[in-house]
This record gives sequence, structure tokens and C-alpha cells, in this order.
Amino acid sequence: MKDREIDEVLKKAAQAPHKLDPALLKRVAGSIESSLRPVRTLPSTWVLTTGLVLICAVVALAGAARAGFDGIEKMGVWERALIFSTLGIFAWVAGTEFVNEMIPGSRRRIPLGALLGIGSVVLVGVFALLFRDYRTDHFVSAGIVCLLTGLLHAIPAALLSWLVLRRGFAVNSVSAGLAAGTLAGLAGVGMLELHCANFQATHILVWHTAVIPVSGGAGAFVACALRFRSGSRGLERAAPR
Amino acid sequence: MASYQAGDFAAATVLINRLSPQLHRFFVAQAASRADADDLLQETWLRIHKVRHTYRPDEPVLPWFYAIARHVRVDHYRKTVRTTARERGLEEITKVGAKIPAELSQADDLEALLAPLSENQREVIEMLKVAGMSMEEVARATSSSVGSVKQKVHRAYKKLRQSISAMGHTKGQSGGRS
Repeated sequence: MKDREIDEVLKKAAQAPHKLDPALLKRVAGSIESSLRPVRTLPSTWVLTTGLVLICAVVALAGAARAGFDGIEKMGVWERALIFSTLGIFAWVAGTEFVNEMIPGSRRRIPLGALLGIGSVVLVGVFALLFRDYRTDHFVSAGIVCLLTGLLHAIPAALLSWLVLRRGFAVNSVSAGLAAGTLAGLAGVGMLELHCANFQATHILVWHTAVIPVSGGAGAFVACALRFRSGSRGLERAAPR
Repeated sequence: MASYQAGDFAAATVLINRLSPQLHRFFVAQAASRADADDLLQETWLRIHKVRHTYRPDEPVLPWFYAIARHVRVDHYRKTVRTTARERGLEEITKVGAKIPAELSQADDLEALLAPLSENQREVIEMLKVAGMSMEEVARATSSSVGSVKQKVHRAYKKLRQSISAMGHTKGQSGGRS
């Protein structure tokens, strides 16, 4: 049997009328009538993405302004250019994907898991290229402080990003959480690069980069927990008393 | 759609009357009962209504509708699994899941035709052949790549070829006996 013949069979089957109860259609129309009022469509993707990237930049700068710009002051021109341009590109791509997650039927350029993986590997590559001090003094204690600092700055970035895109997720909230977490993690890494003057390669490679996947994972987990909670609430409401 | 976004009830009604049959068929093809499909259709329209501001006039409309419908179905499936697990235990869920294609296999309609396919393949074929969407639009609606859609279609056609041949063979045999 050829593909064209299968097409014909499917076409014939699809042409069969699929009638709906007019009362059902009336009920659907009635359910939206009371709340039908004009809505403002969303701004274009690049406007929303710019807003998200600006939020991350402001959070990173505010955090570094409070803690000190020791890191960026110690860096050379090349280090500054490479690190911050990489972070900027990564933030732009993550922001675009976050906006696309919010809009049903948007074009997906890159799967979110791949974005998180590739972005982290590129960042590790840039750090490995720039930092050659392989000592590991206070590796765990200093590292945990940096990881927590990065994550603490990711929280306000995630909350502010959520405010920008709070007008309802109709599709996959877990993917949206992952995208939001990744973007917020970049704000945390940005703050660390501005502030942290510990240029030991292993410290930066492990603990600074770790902020992104940990924050992305936390975003997905929170979204998953919220979805589970809303689902359970729905079930409780539906349960007979 | 633009008139609906502007708050025009007549436009909303036209949209509901025009798109509901194909959305309903989409749910029925995903092995939902007719009553479930009715509920899913209502839920889909409520969600569409809630996020109607996210549709941009320069974007294709069908992927937007189907992406929402698809997630309503997924959410419904999750909720059903949770409820059923509470009420009956997991063993019975597999029995219910396995029963659907067998029940439909004798029927001579689209749902029966698509019954041997996996859920992902069914939804892709439904969007392509019933809704008349392009590969690119299906990729948008299913949050995947065009390559992945092509692969699903290829596998679905392979299965359909086998099942249609088998159905023709069975019909031929029964026709010969009568």
C-alpha cells in the first residue's frame, strides 16, 4: 500500500461528519460571555525578552553594588568581554525561550534541556579558557558560599521575571519554570562574576557554573509542585462531600 | 480571532462553532469517551478564553488552538490517572488503557483507523490530516521540531499500512464467508 492510498483512506475517514450537540456549543459560548471584554495582546517577543534580560542585569548589578565589584575590577579586558558577552547571549536565548514557553504554538528553536546543557558547557569552556590557576584552596567552603550567593540573587530575578510574564501559562508550566530558573540562574552567575575575586579555575568552573543548572532545576521543581498542588485542589473540589 | 480579542461575542460564537467539531474530534481520536471529549472541549475553551491575549494576529492560529487543546488533554490525563489511582489501584488502569483500541478496532471510522497508533502519532496524524495543518504548524503545536514530526508521521504510516492491510484481509475473509 502506497502513502497516497493511506492519505486517501484518512481523507475519506476525516470527511465523515462529526456532529456536536448544539446545546454543548451554546454552553461553551455562554461560559465565556460574562467575562468577554477586550484584551491587549502581548508585546512582541523581543520587547519581552529585552525586559527579562534587563531584569537579570539590574539584579546582578544591584547585588554586586551591595557586595562590591571586586571580581570585575580584578579581570582583564578580554576576560570581561568574553565572560559578559557569553552571559548576555545565553540570557537573551534563555529569555526568548521563556517568552516562547508562555505563548502557545510558538516556534521552538532549541529544546530547553539542550539550551541548559549547551549554555552551561559553553560557559565552562569560556571559564576554562580564561582561568588557569588550578589551586583548590577552601574549595568546598568558598564554593558553597558562592553557590548560595548566586542562588539568592536568582530568586528576585525569577520573581521579577514572573511578574513580567504573569498573565497566565496555558501550556507547559514545568518547561516555563525551567526556562525561568535558567534565566534567573544567569542573573546569579552575572552577580558572582561581578563580585567574586576568587579566580581559581576549579572554583569558577564548578561552583559558579553550578548556579545555572541548580536554579533551572529549582524553577522546574517549583512549577511542578505548583501544578501538582493546583491539580490536587481541583480534585478536592471535584470530590463529593 | 482579532474580533474575539476585541470583545466581540458574535465573533467568539463563530469561532466556537467553527473550531469545536475538529477540537472535539481531536479529543475523541485520543481515545477519550464522548462525555470526556465534551468536558475537554469546554475546558479548552475556558483556557483559550483565559489566555486569548497571548495570540498574536501575525502568527498562525491553528497551532495556537491545538497547543492549548493538547495541554488540556495532558492535564486531564494526569488528573484521571491520579483519581483512578486513588479509587481503583494501578492494575485496573492498564486494563482500561488496553481496552480502548480493541473496542474501536471493528468500527469503520477515523478513530478506529488511528487506534493502533501511539498517542503521539495519533495527535500528529489528526493535526495533519483532519485539521489540515502543515508540518511546521504541527511542530509548533506539539512543541517539537519539524524533523521529529516527520519521523512520527513516517512511523505512523508504517503502522497504518500494516493495520489497513490487516483490516482489508479480515474484511476480505469475512466477505468471502458471507
